[in-house]
Amino acid sequence: MRMINIKDMKMNKKNITLIALFSALLIPIGGCQKNFLSQNSTKSATADASFQKSQDVVALVNSIYDGYQSSDLLKKSIWYYANFLTHDWYNDGADIAWNSYTINSNFGALSVFWNNAYVAIARANQAFGIIATAKTNGVVTPALADRLTGEAYFLRGMSYYYLAGTFGGVPLELNAVTDGLTPRSSQDQVFQQVVSDMEQAEKLLVSKTALPSTEIGRATKGAAYGYEGAAQMWLGKYTEALAAFNNTELTNNYHLLPNFVDVNEFDHQNSDESLFEIQFSIQGSQSWDGGWQSGGEIAWIDDFSWPWEISGFGYDYANPGLSYSYQAGDTRKLATIVGPGDQLVSPGIIAKWGGIKGYAVVQSGFAAGNQKYIGDDGNIINTCGALSHPWFGDDLTRSGYYCAKKWRDPNLTGANGTSTIFGSQNQILLRYAEILLDRAECKVRTGDIPGAMADLKTVRDRAWGGSSPVDGTGKPLVQDGLTYDGKPTQPITDPLQMVLSEYRHELTAEYSLMYNLRRAGPGVAAAFIHTNYNTNSSLLPQPYPYGPTADGKLHGVWFTSLPAGHDILPIPQNAIGLNPNLKQNPGY
Amino acid sequence: MIRKLQIKNFVVVIGVSLSLMLLSFSGYAQNGTVTGTVTDAASGLPLPGVTVKVLNGPGTTISTDANGNYSIKAGPTSKLVFAFVGYTTQEVQVGNRNKVDVKLTEENKTLNELVVIGYGTAKRKDLTGSISSVSAATIAKVPVTTLDQALQGRAAGVQITNNDASPGGNVSVMIRGVGSLATNGNNPLYVVDGYPIESGGINSINPNDIASIDILKDASATAIYGIRAANGVVIITTKKGKKDGVQLSADGYTAFQTRPKEYKVLNGQQFATLALQQATADSAKQFTVLSNWNNPSSVTEADWQNAVYRPGLTQSYNVGLRGGNDKLQAATSIGYYNQKGIVLGSYFKRVTLNLNLDYQPVSWLKSSTSAKYAYQDSNNPFGTGSLGQLAQLPPTLDGGNKVTSQISDGNGNYGFFNPLYTYIAKYNNPVYNIENNRYSNINQFFLTNSSLEATIISGLKIKTNAGVTVTGANGYYSSPEDDRLVNQYGNQAGSTQNPFFSQYLNTSFDWLWENTISYDKTFGKHTINFVGGVSEQKLTSNGFSGSMRPANGTVQDLSHPYIDPTTGISTLILNSTGQEIGTLASQFARLGYNYDSRYYITGTIRRDGSSKFNASHQYGVFPSGSAMWKAKDEFFLKDVDWLTDLKFRGSYGEVGNQGAIPYFQYNALYSTGLPPGNSGNLGYPFGKTGGSNGIYQGGVAAIQPAYPGLKWETDYQTDVAMDAAFLHGDLTLTVEWFNRKSKDFLLNIAVPAQTGFATETQNLGSMSNKGWEFTVNYNHSVNRDFRFGAGLTLSFIQNKLISLTKGTNFITNTGGVGLAGNGWSTFTETNIGQPVGEFYGYKSLGIFTDAQLNAANTAAQAKGFPFYQQAATAPGDRYYADTNGDGHITADDQTSLGSPQPKFFGGLNLDASYKSWDFNVFFYGVYGNKILNYEESNLETFQNRGFVGIENISQEYYAKAWTSSNPSNEFARIYYNDNSIGNAYPSSHWIENGSFLKLKTLTVGYTLPADLIKKLAVSKIRIYVSTQNLFTITSYKGMDPEIGVQGSNATQTGVDNGTYPSSKYYTIGFNVTF
Repeated sequence: MRMINIKDMKMNKKNITLIALFSALLIPIGGCQKNFLSQNSTKSATADASFQKSQDVVALVNSIYDGYQSSDLLKKSIWYYANFLTHDWYNDGADIAWNSYTINSNFGALSVFWNNAYVAIARANQAFGIIATAKTNGVVTPALADRLTGEAYFLRGMSYYYLAGTFGGVPLELNAVTDGLTPRSSQDQVFQQVVSDMEQAEKLLVSKTALPSTEIGRATKGAAYGYEGAAQMWLGKYTEALAAFNNTELTNNYHLLPNFVDVNEFDHQNSDESLFEIQFSIQGSQSWDGGWQSGGEIAWIDDFSWPWEISGFGYDYANPGLSYSYQAGDTRKLATIVGPGDQLVSPGIIAKWGGIKGYAVVQSGFAAGNQKYIGDDGNIINTCGALSHPWFGDDLTRSGYYCAKKWRDPNLTGANGTSTIFGSQNQILLRYAEILLDRAECKVRTGDIPGAMADLKTVRDRAWGGSSPVDGTGKPLVQDGLTYDGKPTQPITDPLQMVLSEYRHELTAEYSLMYNLRRAGPGVAAAFIHTNYNTNSSLLPQPYPYGPTADGKLHGVWFTSLPAGHDILPIPQNAIGLNPNLKQNPGY
Repeated sequence: MIRKLQIKNFVVVIGVSLSLMLLSFSGYAQNGTVTGTVTDAASGLPLPGVTVKVLNGPGTTISTDANGNYSIKAGPTSKLVFAFVGYTTQEVQVGNRNKVDVKLTEENKTLNELVVIGYGTAKRKDLTGSISSVSAATIAKVPVTTLDQALQGRAAGVQITNNDASPGGNVSVMIRGVGSLATNGNNPLYVVDGYPIESGGINSINPNDIASIDILKDASATAIYGIRAANGVVIITTKKGKKDGVQLSADGYTAFQTRPKEYKVLNGQQFATLALQQATADSAKQFTVLSNWNNPSSVTEADWQNAVYRPGLTQSYNVGLRGGNDKLQAATSIGYYNQKGIVLGSYFKRVTLNLNLDYQPVSWLKSSTSAKYAYQDSNNPFGTGSLGQLAQLPPTLDGGNKVTSQISDGNGNYGFFNPLYTYIAKYNNPVYNIENNRYSNINQFFLTNSSLEATIISGLKIKTNAGVTVTGANGYYSSPEDDRLVNQYGNQAGSTQNPFFSQYLNTSFDWLWENTISYDKTFGKHTINFVGGVSEQKLTSNGFSGSMRPANGTVQDLSHPYIDPTTGISTLILNSTGQEIGTLASQFARLGYNYDSRYYITGTIRRDGSSKFNASHQYGVFPSGSAMWKAKDEFFLKDVDWLTDLKFRGSYGEVGNQGAIPYFQYNALYSTGLPPGNSGNLGYPFGKTGGSNGIYQGGVAAIQPAYPGLKWETDYQTDVAMDAAFLHGDLTLTVEWFNRKSKDFLLNIAVPAQTGFATETQNLGSMSNKGWEFTVNYNHSVNRDFRFGAGLTLSFIQNKLISLTKGTNFITNTGGVGLAGNGWSTFTETNIGQPVGEFYGYKSLGIFTDAQLNAANTAAQAKGFPFYQQAATAPGDRYYADTNGDGHITADDQTSLGSPQPKFFGGLNLDASYKSWDFNVFFYGVYGNKILNYEESNLETFQNRGFVGIENISQEYYAKAWTSSNPSNEFARIYYNDNSIGNAYPSSHWIENGSFLKLKTLTVGYTLPADLIKKLAVSKIRIYVSTQNLFTITSYKGMDPEIGVQGSNATQTGVDNGTYPSSKYYTIGFNVTF
């Protein structure tokens, strides 16, 4: 190529050359614009790119389950509702508004519950189409497509079940795309949707017996029947509910464990009794730096409910009256609630620590002469506080009674010891004992009292480790041990009240009790709580009237009556803010 | 060769002709000598050095002497031309006179200065659009770190706020109001030497290198930048070499910064006393104190503000060499800036290199090259949002570290709070963290741009311009293992804190290629100018960051994470590790026409294609038009002496905004989420039996919904203005009215969870900004020794949300800033019909008396509510208004509490010089805005916000808080569990008047006398002293009322959450020119 000295260029020649050059410059810009502007994301992928293999479609459904791995959703919303509202349990710390039924619509965890449940619903709604396409394209086998579709129906139905149970009617979103401005449906419409989703799931899911062991934790036909029956009960359709509960998918495949204490044991997760539980596993740090708060596999927060003296937390504790209410001989008592002078009965904890006395904090506290860790006999304490000095916590604001159902993971130490705070224990949402009690209620409702009594007895016999007390006619003798204030009691003879009492003693501190009480009808729950605790209009804690914790001081026990309308929770303010078509529940 | 010949010939011909003419004229006018004096028309003082030239006469050229006198040979028909730099050239017919005195009028420099507009320049007097300009001289008056700080108060309609005073600056620039609610959605487009910056901070440009800043405000001016222009365009031109001679300059200053003001809080003794009082008063016995506090007079003081604040020091040096000849001009400079901040651990260092090279080998071809490099090293370990904590931390560490109860004992021991006492266990010692954690944040910025321009025929030019920007940001954070608590308190105090290490590396590469053609020509009274072109720009960004627990505190290598020996699980977590590409392809044109320099019209259009949008919505077309009438040049005003200039202009146009949204927001995208063990994972474990752990299966979920219709935001802008000049140009006035309507503004907004997503990027609604801008400048030379001037800018902007496309009537605060405390998730709400970011909360009616509380509860109970406010509300608690009238207090009673948007803001600049002295005073003020004093809400709560604990309070609150014996209607009772009563909810009690007037700068300079510096072979030496932030007139109770947009989001404006405080600077500096 010849070097051109520009100074030698003629004007004309220069012009021609420059214009030609300039035109040449313009060409690439005009020519490849279309490609130039079409960029693709390389950080995440479109649906087409995402679902080309069978396991990708499975992963899509896995993400629906993932929405439930949330402490705010499970504990601070469903568990709080199921238990704090019954006054069997109280909060210590930031959430004490629950103790006086003054929860407001800004309570943060309610938003998490609402949001996660709707995200799960939306993921299910999106999954239907994607699974169908994958099935058409041969990406998944028809059998797998059915199972995955069934799981999506199940999880959508279950989400609506807890939403409606907690808030009353909620918006029904059933399409893959929505602007999210749908107003609330009625509570009945939502439970009707639960029934319909569970019926779909019953057809599509696999039976528990057909589920490969590597897939344990997925929804099964039995679980779908369980939720369908419960939803039918909300609708007052007891006959239909009975049909669901009597399905052989339930009655053949699920059984009560022989020992009640094992139901909540760490080494009995996904047991023969469990219909559906939220799965957790250790995947990283078990301390604060892990993903414990929302979405992490790794962690559950059971030790938050242990006494402050052991865990450094003590964020929830029991009403002493719950302990007194257990009938003599009921093995469920110490497997549910422990207080001053009570030893832990968890086989797992005893095996690992030898009981309370094995925890590092107890041993070092005892060695240092800390009164808290010295038993009434002068030896190292092995009970949940001593009768002479109950464990009221660092600031003396707890009742001295704590949850034994959530004190099972032997790996945890709370904020003390090795500071293993977050565990991996599954959370059982529905188990066979509840199905039996639900069935008993259905039978009461449909006039089959002997059948109801038989179901009650089945559950109670296990609780008594063989045979439970019966009256002269052979009917279960249901009678609380003592009243909350230490008075003698009378047998409960009304069949419905007998069922409610069994719900309480079997299922308290799990994920059902208040739901079952509210389901029984308007005013039933408030009356039941009033009967148990003689509640009144006070809004502040009161000294406890009876027992080792009755020292005349305040130890965090409230006697507030359940106000009308507060048997459901407020729709989260955030949700109303984003969807003005939502109307708040009356009374909030 | 041929061309060379032509030039040579031409020169010869001209030379010969001139010689001939000279000969002929000298023959003609040999008979006369004309003398006279040239004086300044304004001051009457003689002007030395004025060029006097004889036209159509002998052609001699001479200069006036020191007294302004001249003597020149000329005949009666000769015309004398008097020319002097800075003055209007005058021609005088000699006639019969032999003495001709002339008064020269100072030229109105402002009107003739060159203004840089998009893809060209124009004289200010010919502008049809709205452009504010700030000169190098103005920037030089204030020692600033970043150039945007220098613009504060200098340009009407441009609101510059120092959001905080951290080193390196945290400045928000808002041109003509808030158009977008998106984070970073209101940033203007910066164009540096013709290069629109897509990546890298504007604080990489050394203010000392800047020759001028031109701020394009109305659509007429900005439309040529199309989809990026809605927030205005700031055009930065750096200093170039001049054609004549060489100039070497050195500038430097040292600024001493005082410690900031401190909040007056309780000392350790008072704090312990208060805690004891609270414990005694707590009948429920729920609150206890640390045993050390039982004897308050014995506690060791921990003065956190004193420990963390310190005097600051800034040093800045710049050396520049600029010069050239007719063909080659070069400017190089080196800048060094080093600021030690007033908060422990904070600093900002910057080295900048700059080269501008202009080369014109032949008259028809020239090239221009600019290269800029900046290296920044900065750190701000304890900044805005954290600093409030200093006032809140319990002021004693007693009972914690058994080795020392001092904050730091100087031997490597740091006090800590007692880990077993719940109420303080969770606090950290910030001094320990600052001094023991390691940080590094390095930013590099390189911009180079070259153009080649050819003149084809007179007025017709073609130009190609190519450039690249390369940025790199890298750094790490590492904290050591900390086993101090466990060592002293055993396992009960928790476990050893593991070491932590995180590292990031973000790079970007951006290229630009533009080709333009322009034509400027005057035909008689008709002048046209045209520019058209095409442009492509492509930005590739790469990110890499990760964090882990290293095996020990020394390891700083992400490939060596700690791995759990039992599970084999690695602690490494990678975030945002990937590449993103964005592209922009554009065509644009501007055509201007004027008739007789009196009637002007300009039309501009740009078509932009952006990869941020779906193929069917990729292109936007942005037109604008403007007209201008120079009334002064009409016959009826031409001779009006007092009016130097008068023109009217108006424009209308459409411009776009796409800036604030990330790429690919139009697409439904699926992600596998983070690894298991993180909150952001999407998978789930299955196959778990008994006590086994289960097997994690991955998850995939949609992370954003499809929104194929997503498009850019369009701003529709109307501008009407008048420019006038009086007193021979001494006084200029610009009055401007604008109406900016931002439609389809973009926001990644929270959507109902029912959609399945937390947020979605939407074209959300429309916003209006209307306003008036006033600029007045006065400059007057009284005599040779004394000149003074004043400049005032005032801006009135009325901002309003007009509509939201769907769903709600309001938008709550969005973006990054979170305020801790019960009920504080929402603290602003932007409602339709109201300005952006209005504060939102409860209306405080004062403090409950016993009677008021009883009455309120009784009335509430009559309506069926258990109580009016809260279960635990007692006399002494804050009394909130039942604004919705339903009988009790709920979240629905929250209401608008005032707007953070000022009614007006402005700057007043006063300049004077007397002999060798120069003076500058600059005030900046805003009026009519409100501030949310969140920090005050912290100082009026004994309870820590967000968790169980207690914190320090202000002296004022301690003294004035409600007690039964000393009731107050302003300050609530002190209570360790405020969460249960909500006295510190967002309420009108925390809203304060945010108006202020600040003396930003006061400078006195002295230029050494010429005869002295001549001996030093220096042409000019100026030394100066300056002070910044000397005083602020305000009623605001907090540290500093200058609080702008927090978290770069307009819905969080004016929130004082413990910002990095400002303090006084005392600067001493010099400017030397060799």
